[in-house]
Amino acid sequence: MANERLRALEEVEKEIAMILQCAGNVLLELSKDKHNASFLDRQLAQFLGSVNKIESELSGQIRYLTQVATGQPHEGSTYSARKDCQMALNRAEYAKVKLGELGRTCEVMLDQQL
Amino acid sequence: MATQRGLPQSKETLLQNYNKRLKDDVRSIVDNFSEIIKTAKIEEETQVSRATQGEQDHYEMHVRAANIVRAGESLMKLVSDLKQFLILNDFPSVNDAITLQNQQLRTLQDECDKKLTSLRDEIAVDLYELEEEYYSSSYSLWDTTDLPLCEAYRRRDSWASPGTGPGSAQGDGEELDGPPSQETKPQHHLNGHGTSSIEKP
Repeated sequence: MANERLRALEEVEKEIAMILQCAGNVLLELSKDKHNASFLDRQLAQFLGSVNKIESELSGQIRYLTQVATGQPHEGSTYSARKDCQMALNRAEYAKVKLGELGRTCEVMLDQQL
Repeated sequence: MATQRGLPQSKETLLQNYNKRLKDDVRSIVDNFSEIIKTAKIEEETQVSRATQGEQDHYEMHVRAANIVRAGESLMKLVSDLKQFLILNDFPSVNDAITLQNQQLRTLQDECDKKLTSLRDEIAVDLYELEEEYYSSSYSLWDTTDLPLCEAYRRRDSWASPGTGPGSAQGDGEELDGPPSQETKPQHHLNGHGTSSIEKP
């Protein structure tokens, strides 16, 4: 499904933000007098992991697009089904309006009789 | 045909461009980050005074940090361009999406029509009786040539011989002439023929 690829790209965007976050954390930690070595290692590992992940994911997407894309525009549409559905909903609405009128007429007649 | 084998030049160029941007941005981020870390190393001997060296390192780190951020932004733009390209050119998924949407719309349409049909069946009997009551009461001012539905049905049932007009059951719709009455007559005919503006010469 298309949504899976788009969701994968959304994840890539989050990973890019994570990269910048990790780089900033590493530099912040280095700026302190006393460094927490394990924290530095963790952040660096996460940074490198995210970079590799982004590169592989985006390369994969570009490779897929190279295989799948043509130069032609897509000419499919959902217009006919949408129009038919719209007409069906209009029919239902019309029936509702007419039934409402009928109901009101009957009520008026009943009130007059009473 | 050779043109159908490969992508058109513009699409190929575009995808190559995406690849290049990806490689450049990732390399920029990694290189600038590692250079910042290297610059952070404290060196004992410097060619210029410590203050100058410090200033230079400070400026260099600023620039490299800005480069990292720029490369990150450029990657985000690349992802956005890829999403757009995917939506426009990934035909298998576009076809799937169109098929699914068509299916959902048709299901909705069928459900709607089914409910309308069952509603029609339910109120047909009541409508028949209502019409009978209405047209036999003193409130209706219909033309004698206009047949209410119940009357039309009765006559059609009692007519055994052919040769009566085909419009007998639809006489209501086609013989609507004359101005609408002044009485409260919201529905001249309840069979759905609303073409009250048709006038026969």
